[in-house]
Amino acid sequence: MSQGLLSIARAGVAWALLTAALAVALALPGSTQPLEPPAAPVAPVASTAVSRPLGDPAGPPRSGAELDRVTERLASRMRCPVCQGLSIAASRSISALNMRHEVRELLAAGYSEEQVLDYFEQAYGEFIRLVPKPRGFNLVVWVLPVALLALGGALIARLTRSRSVRSASAADPALADYRERVRKETSD
Amino acid sequence: MNRRVLVVGLLVASPLLAVLAVSFRYDPHFIRSPLLGKEAPNFRLVDIDGGTYELAALRGQPVVINFWATYCPPCIVEHPMLSQAADHYRGQAHFLGVIYQDDENLIRKFVDQRGRWGPSLIDPDGRAAIAYGVYGPPETFFVDRDGKIVDKVIGEVTASHLRATLEPLL
Amino acid sequence: MSSTLGQGFVLLALLLCAVGAPVGFVAGARRSAFGLRLVRAIALGFAASMALATLVMEWALVRHDFSVSYVAQVGSRSTPLHITIVSLWSSLEGSILFWGLILGLFTAGVTMLQRRGHDDYLAYTLGTILSVGMFFSLLLAGPANPFQAMPAPIPTDGPGPNALLQNHLLMIIHPPMLYLGYVGMTVPFAMAVAALLRGQLGPTWLRPLRNWLLVPTAFLTLGIMLGGWWSYEVLGWGGYWAWDPVENASFLPWLTAIAAVHSAVVQQRRGSLKAWTVILVMISFLLTILGTFLTRSGVVNSVHSFTQTPIGPMFLGFLGICAVAVVVLLALRIDTLASPAPVTTGPLSRETGFLVNNLLFVALMFTVLVGTLFPILAEAVKGVKVSVGEPYFNRMAVPLFSSLVLLMGLGPALPWGSADPQHARRALLWPLPAAAVAALVAWLLGGRSLGVLSACALAGYTLWVTADQGLRPARERRRHLGETTPVALGRAIRLTPRRLGAYLAHFGVLVTFVAVAVSSSYQVDGEATLRPGSAMTIGAYTLTYQGGQLEESPHLSRQVATVRIAARGKQLGTLSPSLNFYPTQSDPLGTPAVRTGLTHDLYLTLMNVSRDGQIGLRAIVTPAVVWIWLGVMVIVLGTGLCLVPPWVPRPAAGRETVADPLLGAAEG
Repeated sequence: MSQGLLSIARAGVAWALLTAALAVALALPGSTQPLEPPAAPVAPVASTAVSRPLGDPAGPPRSGAELDRVTERLASRMRCPVCQGLSIAASRSISALNMRHEVRELLAAGYSEEQVLDYFEQAYGEFIRLVPKPRGFNLVVWVLPVALLALGGALIARLTRSRSVRSASAADPALADYRERVRKETSD
Repeated sequence: MNRRVLVVGLLVASPLLAVLAVSFRYDPHFIRSPLLGKEAPNFRLVDIDGGTYELAALRGQPVVINFWATYCPPCIVEHPMLSQAADHYRGQAHFLGVIYQDDENLIRKFVDQRGRWGPSLIDPDGRAAIAYGVYGPPETFFVDRDGKIVDKVIGEVTASHLRATLEPLL
Repeated sequence: MSSTLGQGFVLLALLLCAVGAPVGFVAGARRSAFGLRLVRAIALGFAASMALATLVMEWALVRHDFSVSYVAQVGSRSTPLHITIVSLWSSLEGSILFWGLILGLFTAGVTMLQRRGHDDYLAYTLGTILSVGMFFSLLLAGPANPFQAMPAPIPTDGPGPNALLQNHLLMIIHPPMLYLGYVGMTVPFAMAVAALLRGQLGPTWLRPLRNWLLVPTAFLTLGIMLGGWWSYEVLGWGGYWAWDPVENASFLPWLTAIAAVHSAVVQQRRGSLKAWTVILVMISFLLTILGTFLTRSGVVNSVHSFTQTPIGPMFLGFLGICAVAVVVLLALRIDTLASPAPVTTGPLSRETGFLVNNLLFVALMFTVLVGTLFPILAEAVKGVKVSVGEPYFNRMAVPLFSSLVLLMGLGPALPWGSADPQHARRALLWPLPAAAVAALVAWLLGGRSLGVLSACALAGYTLWVTADQGLRPARERRRHLGETTPVALGRAIRLTPRRLGAYLAHFGVLVTFVAVAVSSSYQVDGEATLRPGSAMTIGAYTLTYQGGQLEESPHLSRQVATVRIAARGKQLGTLSPSLNFYPTQSDPLGTPAVRTGLTHDLYLTLMNVSRDGQIGLRAIVTPAVVWIWLGVMVIVLGTGLCLVPPWVPRPAAGRETVADPLLGAAEG
């Protein structure tokens, strides 16, 4: 009997940990590609009038549905600089439209999402990322909630392990009849 | 007195209050440009009168790049000051205006009335603005002789700030 | 004149608070009947002064009395009357006065309604409320004085209120709801302080606390929803929640208040979690102050925040004082409340469900708090501005909310106390077919994304348990007492309104949950540049731009585009999105036009109008949006039902009621 309960308690802890792990897994970006070494800056790009210190594209050119999908995904992770809190995917301000246009062009040329983000970050600062880079001090924002969840889960596991019901302490006479009523109501 | 509650409570509350207290030291609207000290992104743009300008070709003299628009009141305020400064530093420094999300015709009408202190460059799709990380007009960048960005001003530039920043670069 | 009168009432309120707060505490400590009568009178006086001060302000606003500073700041002769009336809360000083009014209303409510049933605590409770009132009166008397006399020359007209206020009807009802929720949280907080000071928690504490906690929670729920709805109808980006710092600020106290509502149930049923309920209630109040600080101080980058003012440091100071007072009070008195019984009797029990519920809500609150404040922390530590936006919050909150929905199914399926594992396992497996059916239905309706299918499965599981538990009293009446279905249902509602209310609220959560999942997964978005006569298609719709016109009125000019809607060969009328230009604002504000339907919304925004007559039109088709609002309304309805006192039949009423085997559930 107690053996069974113990295993259920364990299952409870496992559930809490699973939820925590799930949160962590969802919180961290899927794959972090190794970054290209910073490229030689400022070499005029033939097709545009503005040079971008980007280096070589990390992958092959994109087009069609894949380009749409990747553009949308990246745009929703970039902050529109003039509208507060919205991504450039959600906003229709001119700034957001221009930035999305630029993002799409760079992605079409085969630059990786991180390369594009880095390019914008070089100009606008880390502020442009709608989600902080999960690196260094920024990890705090991911770790703190998960830590609380794990701590709370452990606490609940400890609380629910004990099976004994002690009766109301005598130090609380005002509540005795109230508690008696509660017990009656709940013992069905 | 439950000491544990006291200690835990204060441990939770004090960092929170501290974070909120330091928030007063920061202007939520001010963001330091990461471009300071870096090489200014090069651009080749056409101005409203048809001339082509390339930043890299202006090496050897400091350049003042001003992103502006006719709908922005501080831009209108700083226009006469920039005209004077452009006159004063003629031959010593370059002044470039880049149009920020504005109608070419409105810009032409505006400079026809109030004078040109430099070219008004057309920035298709705001590419130059993105390369310089412009949040909104006016923003002014000071580029030294070697093409490095040494200062960025958000909002109206004052004559004294312009002088103090530009003089050492000459 | 108005200026002097208004300041007079504010000072009177301040004086009454300054006297009333100590009277309340002393009366509480000495259990003095006279002191209690005195503090009740003072509390009513405070409420009256706040109401009168507000009346004076409204009078000044309506009369366009520009000698009053606040009227000069937000008034305008060209503003319509109803907008002038509500411009009371369109700017900082007025909104603090409005806050004072609502605190006055709540104070009067507690004083009148808790004449009985809260005996041992009322003096302490009122003393605490008046202490909070003192802070707001102080703000109104000094740094946020809306009644300042304007120096001569007195302006003849003013700029009018914030353009956003004038743009939509929802802006008129959304802030009061939110304020009722925010300010109302003072009452349960005061009761929690009273409990700690008294050193015990009896039934005359728990019952009033439950009710006075449910009221602001319901208002907060409604206010948050209306805020989202307003965002959707006005801001024009097609969404309703952007995890903006100010939206988050309203969300924080809601999360802990909901947790407190649930832990109070455990306290009522099992007599445990007492100190924990008190702590949650206190945290909820502190979070309302924190939220107000974030909104009013201008320290966060947000659409809604007011500009940086001296109010900020004062709110922070108040928050600090409250937080320290709460911690010290808890440390001094918590041992008098500690639950004598361990929290639960077995790991697979309803109590465990409630504990996990509380953990998840607190974790959600903490996540939102960390995400909202992290930019400030990062700037202090790294010296770099960072953003924490929607993708972060979604990644963190979606698993937590989904867990909560699952728990809403698991918890109520489990019995109180210790269950034998076999029984528990059976109870948990029983609703699984409902999950499968729900997922299948979603699949048949065209749902293909894993997220939506699993959301529907979760909702199906929980729906089964919710319906089973919620309708149980009615079902048992029918079975055991032979009543017809309507009679059984009617009596069940009257005898056990709280139980039904609770499960109705759960049902509302399920509706909202599925609607959020569906609407965020299947949005179709398109844009086009249109000349008059040309058309675009989106989903099944054909949108033809018929032409635009410029509407001029004194306080704004509107560019309105008329768009004809047709679908599958049927004409469905026209929609008119517009761009509004306010003389006091440089950028135009768009007003989207929305065709709301039970299955989906068609949402049009006018992005720009060029001089040659072309428009940029954006069209969005979002399924199920309306069910988000409806679901939340069901939650609020359920919460309201929880406030209805159960009908207690008189013993003489006959056999049926005396021996009513289901009466016990009334307390559930």
